[in-house]
Amino acid sequence: MKYIGVILLVWFATNRTGQDIYACKNAVVTLYSKAPIEDIEARTDKGTSVLNTATGELAFSVPIRSFKFDKALMQEHFNENYMESDKYPQATFKGKLTDKVDVTKDGTYPVTASGVLEVHGVKQTRSIPGKLTVANGAISLTSEFTVACKDHKIEIPTLVFHNIAESIRIQVSAAYSPYK
Amino acid sequence: MKTSLLFISLLFTVSLSKAQTTTKDTAKSSTDSLMNTLSIPEKGEPVIATFKATRLILSQTTETVKKHGLNFLVIHRFGDIGGSAGGGKTLWGLDNSSDIYIGFEYGLSDNLNIDFGRSKFESLLELGLKYNILHQKTDESMPFALTLIGKTGLKAYHSNTPVFDNYSNRFSHLLQAVVARKFSPALSLQVSPMYIFNNAPFPFLYGNERRFLALSAAGRLKFSKRMGLVIDYVHPFSNFRNSSVNPRFYDGLGVGIEIETGGHVFTINFTNAQAISEFNYLNDTESDWGKGQFRLGFTISRIFDFNKKHKSGY
Repeated sequence: MKYIGVILLVWFATNRTGQDIYACKNAVVTLYSKAPIEDIEARTDKGTSVLNTATGELAFSVPIRSFKFDKALMQEHFNENYMESDKYPQATFKGKLTDKVDVTKDGTYPVTASGVLEVHGVKQTRSIPGKLTVANGAISLTSEFTVACKDHKIEIPTLVFHNIAESIRIQVSAAYSPYK
Repeated sequence: MKTSLLFISLLFTVSLSKAQTTTKDTAKSSTDSLMNTLSIPEKGEPVIATFKATRLILSQTTETVKKHGLNFLVIHRFGDIGGSAGGGKTLWGLDNSSDIYIGFEYGLSDNLNIDFGRSKFESLLELGLKYNILHQKTDESMPFALTLIGKTGLKAYHSNTPVFDNYSNRFSHLLQAVVARKFSPALSLQVSPMYIFNNAPFPFLYGNERRFLALSAAGRLKFSKRMGLVIDYVHPFSNFRNSSVNPRFYDGLGVGIEIETGGHVFTINFTNAQAISEFNYLNDTESDWGKGQFRLGFTISRIFDFNKKHKSGY
């Protein structure tokens, strides 16, 4: 009897893990630099993310090279001068949702992810607010936050004629599907 | 009974805590490993910014102006710093301009450019196409970039030679292949074979070939994010030029500093070649570094973008 109980419990525990992992391979990340002379915007839909609803663990990764700008020269400067994407090809976030969300119930939940944001090879501990939406069992996550160039050692020389904002606004949007 | 119950409850708590830790462990490692498998960067991205601009000092680079971009070029060469034409009398050449080039390069696509330019030297007009046919790849599946250039030069005005009475004699053509490799973020090198054919030999001297091969080698070494040292050398394979004593011909050699400011690229250089266009300096470089016949020069390259701005979602 006790063996059956133990076996049942172990089976139950191990079986649970697989179903709590959600993944997104086409997370949209948009960055905005608002400055007096010029507004700059770039977008990628090549972000990847993994969300574990049981533990609240959340991971994001965005290839820097995949950001598309209106102006080709800006895109080149973004990669070559500012982000140094040959040295630091990805921007990542690894953290945990601090709020417990019941993903079996539809609704919109304000959440906060705290963890480490790595941009341009510099790690910063951040607490980033966002919104988790469950609709018909589908989970999606959106967030908007700012990244200060200075915090990640992204230098903007005074010689540059394009005016670039000191803080870049980032919008993230990811639609998850269960990972099998 | 009591002991067995205790034992069972103990087993339960042990198994429970164990199950929980394993759950957490597998979840954590699986989140990480899943992230790793999902976020493998795409292979074989083209290498960008092998050079900052479409020009170095004498040579064109493998770089092209991207689609709907317009590159406006102003290139200037002053007079001889030393030698008989230089010195304090001419403020070391600053009083003179041996050549001035004004040019436009437009991106028909990301890889195909149409170029137009006009030189003071021989009042030369030129029109060309430039096509970036191969891109160096980050995964080394393509170790270098290749760009092909073809252009035609026209001396539209009557100069001091009677050879231009036949109008077709005013034309020259150039075919060029540029092979470049970015060895590191700081170091890029290129070699470029060229074939020039002039309808009339230039300069118009007895024994001068109308057509010959030339080879150029150039490189850039960045010493900061926005500044680099540039060296550019060209050798024409011309028996006439190599053996002629009066006038004597020299290989073109330039050294300079390249500064990128975001939108503009400036090159400040010293070179013995008086002329800016290949049609002129391949044919007719008669000034020698050793005799002080080198000059200050600069290149200003400014890119204008004519892409329509997409509607901002912000």
